Amino acid sequence: MMASRACRHEECWLLLPWLANGRLPQAERAGVEEHLRECAACTQELARQRLLCQVLTEPERVSYAPGPSFRKLMDRIDGRTPASPQDLRPVGHRGVPAARAAAWRPPGLAWAASFVLAVGLAAFAPTAYRWSQWRYTTHTTSAHATPGVLHVAFERSLPVGELEEMLRSAGARVVEGPGTSGIFGIAPVTTTARGSAPSGEVSPQMRALAARLRADARVLWVEPLTGTDGAEGAQGRRTREP
Amino acid sequence: MVEPTYRGSASVAREVDLMARIANGDRKAFEELYNLYHRRMARFLTRLTHRYDLAEEVINDTFWVVWRKARDFRGDSQPSTWILGIAYRKARNALRSSARLGQQNLEVESLALTSEEPFHTEELRDWLEQALEQLPVEQRMAVELCYELGYSCEEIARIMSCPVNTVKTRLFHARAKLQKLLPQLAGAGASAPRGAGRQAAPERQS
Repeated sequence: MMASRACRHEECWLLLPWLANGRLPQAERAGVEEHLRECAACTQELARQRLLCQVLTEPERVSYAPGPSFRKLMDRIDGRTPASPQDLRPVGHRGVPAARAAAWRPPGLAWAASFVLAVGLAAFAPTAYRWSQWRYTTHTTSAHATPGVLHVAFERSLPVGELEEMLRSAGARVVEGPGTSGIFGIAPVTTTARGSAPSGEVSPQMRALAARLRADARVLWVEPLTGTDGAEGAQGRRTREP
Repeated sequence: MVEPTYRGSASVAREVDLMARIANGDRKAFEELYNLYHRRMARFLTRLTHRYDLAEEVINDTFWVVWRKARDFRGDSQPSTWILGIAYRKARNALRSSARLGQQNLEVESLALTSEEPFHTEELRDWLEQALEQLPVEQRMAVELCYELGYSCEEIARIMSCPVNTVKTRLFHARAKLQKLLPQLAGAGASAPRGAGRQAAPERQS
């Protein structure tokens, strides 16, 4: 009898993670719940398991943007970027080589791509001259800075924990990215009264945050603040060569 | 409490439909499935690899296979189990080929993480992430798949290509180690049943 009870306890103990995450089948669930009514140790353990579930499913502090990654993958699928070494024999569908797969693709796609390109060029033409006046180019998708957001590149090998710690100590958080080139949008966690500035000017808070990040050796570069940051940004933007 | 990432039957049916469309070369369906999985995989893989770039590489390697092999998906398992199974193998290979793996597997000796401060959820998560780093990769993956992604024991076994008992054993050892590393989590006076690990451990831990 005692041996049977001990055995039951061990079985229940092993199943508690799935009772906590709600995935224990009904048949096993009934038995475990019955055991829980008479076992304080398992009841305590279930509380811990639920805490683990809660902590590990808390909303992420870092938000991930799938768009750039997906475009990179589609470039790879379309053969615009090399495949990884293990995938040197790309196929579009089962057993169909890449060249044939490309031929299989609906012809409408090529027309659609041409149309998008033509519209894009038409939109670009009037602004091309103005863009050519810019002395500096940025690595961000827009030539204009996003108000209240710094674009920052960190060392690629920087562990997530260190990145989060760095930002937390600087009173900042990730609000965008990382993009295809690993660039994050960083903003202060709270905007202070001193942090606000007239339109077009850089707030003291943003300047302080940029300076603090630039001073960290793990930050490759920080750019740009706003249009008026141009001269300063040209000197202080890049902290060191990537 | 935030609900685990378990998906209901409607979501599963939607994913099965997307898989069928992807098998026919539907790029919109592919993008939708990619977006569905990117967040949960990015979080899981970043925690596992500690590197955004490596996590992204594994996600794209996984979906590269999904795109190429969608026609091979027969519906024997849920799409999520199939996709996570591919991701698991890709992540394991990526970790093996990176220099970090050697360090990680050697770092199995316990380093107690203690704090005088009462634990808030965010702090507990920070401590927990440090504790998870000290687990062998297979145990850490089992923890992530169970607690974070909300998979059943059978699904984890399918994803990790191992027997159900091995999953239970990996989690048993992971739980015991986490309790040692996180006294606040362990609570006062609680301990694992004697012999439970031995009886439930038919296979050697990897």
